[in-house]
Amino acid sequence: MSERVVIVGGGVAGVSTAGALRAGGFDGDLTLVDAGEFPYDRPPLSKDFLAGTQDIKQIALKPQQWYDDQRVRLMNRTTVSALRPADGAVELVDGALLPADRVVLATGGGAARPPIPGAHSDRVHVLRTAKDADRLREALGSGARVLVVGAGLIGAEAASTAVRLGCEVVLADPVAVPLAAAIGAELADWLHGLHHRAGITTLHTGVDGFTDRPGGIEARFTDAGEPAAEPQVFDAVLLGVGMVPRTEIAQSAGLRVEGGIVVDERQLTSHPAVLAVGDPARTRRDGVLLPRTEHWEAAQHDGARAAATLLGTTPPPATAPWFWTDRHDRHVEAVGHMASAELTVVRGSYDDPAFAVFGLRDGHVVAAASVDDPMAVRAARRMIDRQVAVRAGPLADPSVNLRSLLRG
Amino acid sequence: MSAGDGIRVASLDDIPQGEGIAVDKSVTGTDDDIALLRDTDDTVYALNDTCTHETASLAEGWVEDGYVECPLHSSRFCLKSGEVQGLPATRDTCPHRVEVRDGEVYLFPGETP
Ligand SMILES: Cc1cc2nc3c(=O)[nH]c(=O)nc-3n(C[C@H](O)[C@H](O)[C@H](O)COP(=O)(O)OP(=O)(O)OC[C@H]3O[C@@H](n4cnc5c(N)ncnc54)[C@H](O)[C@@H]3O)c2cc1C
Repeated sequence: MSERVVIVGGGVAGVSTAGALRAGGFDGDLTLVDAGEFPYDRPPLSKDFLAGTQDIKQIALKPQQWYDDQRVRLMNRTTVSALRPADGAVELVDGALLPADRVVLATGGGAARPPIPGAHSDRVHVLRTAKDADRLREALGSGARVLVVGAGLIGAEAASTAVRLGCEVVLADPVAVPLAAAIGAELADWLHGLHHRAGITTLHTGVDGFTDRPGGIEARFTDAGEPAAEPQVFDAVLLGVGMVPRTEIAQSAGLRVEGGIVVDERQLTSHPAVLAVGDPARTRRDGVLLPRTEHWEAAQHDGARAAATLLGTTPPPATAPWFWTDRHDRHVEAVGHMASAELTVVRGSYDDPAFAVFGLRDGHVVAAASVDDPMAVRAARRMIDRQVAVRAGPLADPSVNLRSLLRG
Repeated sequence: MSAGDGIRVASLDDIPQGEGIAVDKSVTGTDDDIALLRDTDDTVYALNDTCTHETASLAEGWVEDGYVECPLHSSRFCLKSGEVQGLPATRDTCPHRVEVRDGEVYLFPGETP
C-alpha cells in the first residue's frame, strides 16, 4: 500500500476521501491541500448561508479537531500547481514539492461564466464559493432589483433566497421547464411555478448582453421563440448557468480529460498513481463516457470508492443517484433516472402539503422525486437498489406504507 | 413513578417498525426532544431528536439495520451509540436508555444505554 497520499481539494469529495481512507485503516501519511481558508460545504451557499442565517463556521465540513484526530495534514490556502507523478510528488504554487505516492484530484469546479457581452461588470455575480455568497448577499438588500440567469438548482435556490430577503426578482431561463430530465416534466413544471407564486417574475428567455448604467445594469434578453422581453435595469445579476470542472492540472500532466477528468469505476484516471473524485470526475463505463454528476452525495460516494481503490478493499455498493434542493420552503429530493421511466405515478396530489412522483419501468421503480416527503424517495431508493418489483397502484396510494412494499 | 422505572412515553404499537416518534422535551426534561426509533428487528432506541447538522427531526428519518438516516440530508447515526456515520453532520448525537416492558416503552432520559 502507498505510504503517502495527497488529496488535492478540500470539498466534500476530498474530505470524504480522507475520512474513508482512515476509516478503512489507511496508516500512511495523508495530506489534504485546499486553496480555500478551510474546507466548507457548498449547498448552504445558495440557501441559509446566502440568507445570512448560517455563518462560515457553521458550514465547515469538519471541525478542526477532526483533522488532528484523523491524522490528516490540512494545508489551507495552498494551491497545487502541477502533478509530478514521475517524481512522486505534486508541486505547489510557490514551487515547493510535496511527496506523494498516490494523488487524489478533488478539485471541484468553478462557476461557468459564459462570454455574454458586459458580464464582467461588478454587478454580475456567480455563486460557487463562500466569498461569492458574501458578495452576493451584500447586493440582496430589501427592494433590490435582482436578475437571476438560469433556473437550474443554484439559480432557483438563490432566487428563492433573494425573494425571501425582500428583493424584486426576475428569473430568466431559455429552457421552458428546467429540471425536467431529472424529475420529470410535470413535477418540474409545478416546481418552476412556485417561483411565480412566491412573487418572482419568470422569463422564458436567455440574456444577450449587459450594459452598466448609472444606478444599475441593463440586461438585454434574447427571444426564445417568443417576443423578446424589453431590456430592464437591475441592481444585481446572478449567473447560475452551470459549472466548469477544474481539470487544468490533470490536463497539463497528460491525463485523459474529456469534459471532465476521465476515470474508471474505481476512480482511477489514465495515470495509475492518480485518482479523481467529485464534480470534475467523469466515469467511463464499458467504453462509454457518462455525464458528470454534479451532486453532493455523488461526490461523497466517489471519495469512498477512491479510498477502497487505494486500500485494495471492496468498494461500497453503488446506489441510485440522489440529490436534494430547497426552495420557497419546500424540500425536494430526487433519486434515479426519471428520463428512463415509461410510466409515472403521483403519490398524493400536487396540491397536498407533501407528495411524491414515482417513475416505473418493467414493473420496477427507476426514479422518484418528492416534495416535503423525503421518506418516499428514501423508500424508492431502496426499491431501485434492491430491484424490488412493485405495482403502480399501491405506490400511488398514500395510505399504503412504502416500507411494506419494500418487503416485497 | 420513581425515576428508577423510567418514564412511560409510548406503547410499542405507537411506533411503526422502521420509523420513529418524538417525545417532547417537556416530558423528558432534557434540552432536546428525544426520538424513539424502532429498528427493523423491533428493538427500540432513543436518541436526541434534532439532527446535529441542522434542525431536522430524526424521528422522521428512515430507521433500518441499526441506523437512522436524517430526513433532510441523509446523515446516518448509529441507533445504539448515536455515533455519526457520514457527512454532512459531523457531531455524534446523544443516546438514552430505553426499555420495553409489556408492550410499553419506558425512557430514562440522560442515562447511557
Ligand atoms: C451554491 C451551491 C449549492 C448547491 N446545492 C446543492 C444541493 O442542494 N444538493 C446537492 O446535491 N448538491 C448541491 N450542490 C453541488 C455540490 O455542492 C457539489 O456537487 C459538491 O460541492 C462537489 O464537491 P467537490 O468536492 O467535488 O468539489 P468542490 O466543492 O468544488 O471542492 C473543490 C475544492 O478544491 C479546491 N481546489 C481546486 N483546485 C485546487 C488546487 N489546484 N489546489 C488546491 N485546492 C484546489 C477548491 O478550492 C475547493 O475547495 C451545490 C453547489 C453549489 C455551488
